Amino acid sequence: MLINPSTRRQFLTTAAASSVMTFGGTVPAFLRQAAAEGRDDGRILVVVEMAGGNDGLNTVVPYDNDAYRKARPKLAIPKSDVLTIKDGLGLNPALSGFADLLQDGRLTIVQGVGYPNPNRSHFESMDIWHTCQRKEDNRIDGWLGRYLAETTATDFSDPAALHIGEDQQPFALMSRDIRVSSIRSLDQFRLEGNDSKQFRQVVKELSDARRESGNDLLGFVQSSTSSAIVASERIEAAGMKYQPSKPYPQNGLSKKLETVAKLISSGLKTPVYYVQINGFDTHAQQAGAHTSLLRQVSDSVSAFIGDMVAHGHGDRVLCLCFSEFGRRVEENASEGTDHGTAGPMFLAGTQVNPGLIGEHPNLNNLKDGDVQHHTDFRQIYAAVLTRWLSCDAEAALKGRFTAVDAIKQS
Amino acid sequence: MVNNEVFVNSHIDPAWAWSEFQPSDATPWNIRTAAHLYRRAGFGATKPQLTTAVEAGPIATAEVILNETQEPADYLVEMASLANSGLATGNPKQLSAWWAYRMLSTPAQLLEKTTLFWHGHFATSAEKVQDIELMLAQNNLLRKFALGNFAGLLQEISRDPAMLIYLDSATNRKAHPNENFAREIMELFCLGEGNYTEQDIRELARCFTGWEVKRHRFRFNRYQHDTTSKTILGKSGDFGGEEGVQIVVSQDSAAEFIVTKLVNFFVMDEPWPTSELVAPLAKELRENEMQIAPVVRRIMTSNLFYSPHAVGRKVRSPVEFAIGFLRTLEGSTNTFELSETMETLGQGLLYPPSVKGWDGGRTWINSSTLLGRSNLIQHLLNNNKTRFGRTSLPEFLSSANARSIDEIIELFEDCLFAVPVPSAAKDRIRQLAGNQQDPRQLNEAVHALCTLPEFQLC
Repeated sequence: MLINPSTRRQFLTTAAASSVMTFGGTVPAFLRQAAAEGRDDGRILVVVEMAGGNDGLNTVVPYDNDAYRKARPKLAIPKSDVLTIKDGLGLNPALSGFADLLQDGRLTIVQGVGYPNPNRSHFESMDIWHTCQRKEDNRIDGWLGRYLAETTATDFSDPAALHIGEDQQPFALMSRDIRVSSIRSLDQFRLEGNDSKQFRQVVKELSDARRESGNDLLGFVQSSTSSAIVASERIEAAGMKYQPSKPYPQNGLSKKLETVAKLISSGLKTPVYYVQINGFDTHAQQAGAHTSLLRQVSDSVSAFIGDMVAHGHGDRVLCLCFSEFGRRVEENASEGTDHGTAGPMFLAGTQVNPGLIGEHPNLNNLKDGDVQHHTDFRQIYAAVLTRWLSCDAEAALKGRFTAVDAIKQS
Repeated sequence: MVNNEVFVNSHIDPAWAWSEFQPSDATPWNIRTAAHLYRRAGFGATKPQLTTAVEAGPIATAEVILNETQEPADYLVEMASLANSGLATGNPKQLSAWWAYRMLSTPAQLLEKTTLFWHGHFATSAEKVQDIELMLAQNNLLRKFALGNFAGLLQEISRDPAMLIYLDSATNRKAHPNENFAREIMELFCLGEGNYTEQDIRELARCFTGWEVKRHRFRFNRYQHDTTSKTILGKSGDFGGEEGVQIVVSQDSAAEFIVTKLVNFFVMDEPWPTSELVAPLAKELRENEMQIAPVVRRIMTSNLFYSPHAVGRKVRSPVEFAIGFLRTLEGSTNTFELSETMETLGQGLLYPPSVKGWDGGRTWINSSTLLGRSNLIQHLLNNNKTRFGRTSLPEFLSSANARSIDEIIELFEDCLFAVPVPSAAKDRIRQLAGNQQDPRQLNEAVHALCTLPEFQLC
């Protein structure tokens, strides 16, 4: 079988043979051709993962609620400090960036988001959010990976998705056939080779050639190497003429989002970006750490949206912020909180239906000390897939979910 | 010729898998099989070491490796003094560099490899602990128990200050028990998800009340200990922390959980070992009262270990990639820079990404890390602090009787490649090497060789 070495959609079909390499040829016919649905408008999704389990209760604060004050003798945020959203509900004071976005009609807060039979392990719950499947389902790909596999055209020359950061590549982006690039920093994202053209040529050629070894891992590494080289060349060629409209805040998440802004402004057609911020696992001395993390998220996202609007990409960008679970209603003895269940999700951009969606979870109706969700996270994904990325959500979500009304009808 | 695909997809018979390996025509004992053993049991061996191993045979070589787990006294003195000068800087990254140096230089490779396994298992990051002495103490603890008793290790790690600080469990009062350590000991250290309930976590957390870290030391604060009865995993009593740990480690699922991770670490990334496959090893671990060394011995002398299920079926971790490249070529370099680079490639020693450690396998691989791996080889080859056999690479290769490019490719393939280098790749690399009069061309050829997808596997 012959495979076109220039396509990113390298196949991992394994033929039983010794180590053989094949060069040149054509794309297999059963590869979906265009599938360019929803790509023409150049819409972009930026996912911000708040890893560790964000304390939703101290993010969107029911400051007047007796049960809240009672469960949080040390950690409750007083009425005088919150940024009021409506009577009885306010944002953590660190979320001034979000409050500004809300005022400008650029933020949606979906409350009480979770899933049935919640798992309180970081890793399992995160995998559930990433794959929309439970452990027993033999998970091999993520919801965005499945979306990309459905819609990425074979001749698409930019990375199908980019993960910016030093963490492991998110499961959400995994798929069988599409290799997603992770970029730590743009200046390190190039192949160094004694400045020899011949070296680069040889490396590219040898990584493009498919292996028919019967070893799945080798096939995976080969297609990944090929993608890496193509992506680095494309990014190098995009030239980077971008300047931020205003300086971004000085923090790690802002740096990542500024890189995203740079790539978008340089004309890269990549539709999905993924960034992470760690540290939300606040078992001890929560107040200071949580405040600083929330400030980082809200300042960075608000700077990013503002910058995208200033560069004329405002209507093309949607930012989605989530965490794998909220935290226990009752604080622990270490002035922290343990793993919980449902929490709020945030969507930012000019095309959101701004404001609150759903009620704050009822603190008088707990299950095992945790709030109960009323909105499934896949309902938000469904909104992103159908209304923003204009595709069928069922395959990506492995099920049918009613989209929440978080994004304007296009 | 074995049909690999059919072979891999077929069911693995546990009795066959763990029987003692007998070389055959299909799986001979030769320099490449010996290199496989050394890559997995350690970080790699030089060609002369492999030649000795080929003469000794697979079982005798495994015995040599298993018996070489006690470093010589003068080596230990050197390591302790280097660690102390690292401590003096207060910078945990110096300790990462120290460990990388130890991996490069130790005569007891299996001990270091297994210590690395436990570091990934009981993952603790200096990023949060921020105390170099406690990180060193934990590292020494892991090494002390690396091939010893797992139950003992679990008891020790439960009182290890670095671990407790890392898991926000430096205080634990009876009024509001902190669940974090109790959760991780069940989920990640001992049983695995699905083998306990949320209720078990809450009960075990009560056993640990009163366990504290004060002034860098573990202590038991009896005023904060909940002395009432607890029910954990079906057992009831007014258990303390030590008894709680003992109940957890006595579960049948504990032996299976540990053995599964050992098989994944030493044998194959994929597929994840089934319960059926690991059952004989789990039984052996329980019968040996949770002693690790006999299980590791069984693994490294097994049919499965030398089969197509195992050879070339792991992705090199950044540490295996970098230390393996250097050790095999008698290399030395600035290990501070090296450990920084390994961190950018996803494996910072003493800086695991989370309490779950490194997922390994395919997760090592992405565009950034692949470019970074290639660039690392380039930096090593062009760095004047890197020496091979105390000399330059061309001189070292020449002294190893690898003078022509074909001999050089063969040396690399024998010692460093778990899967064959495709002949088309050899042709192109020969062209890059030119007539080899120019050391830059040799470097380029070696760099290209080590950028091949095949080089990522071990």
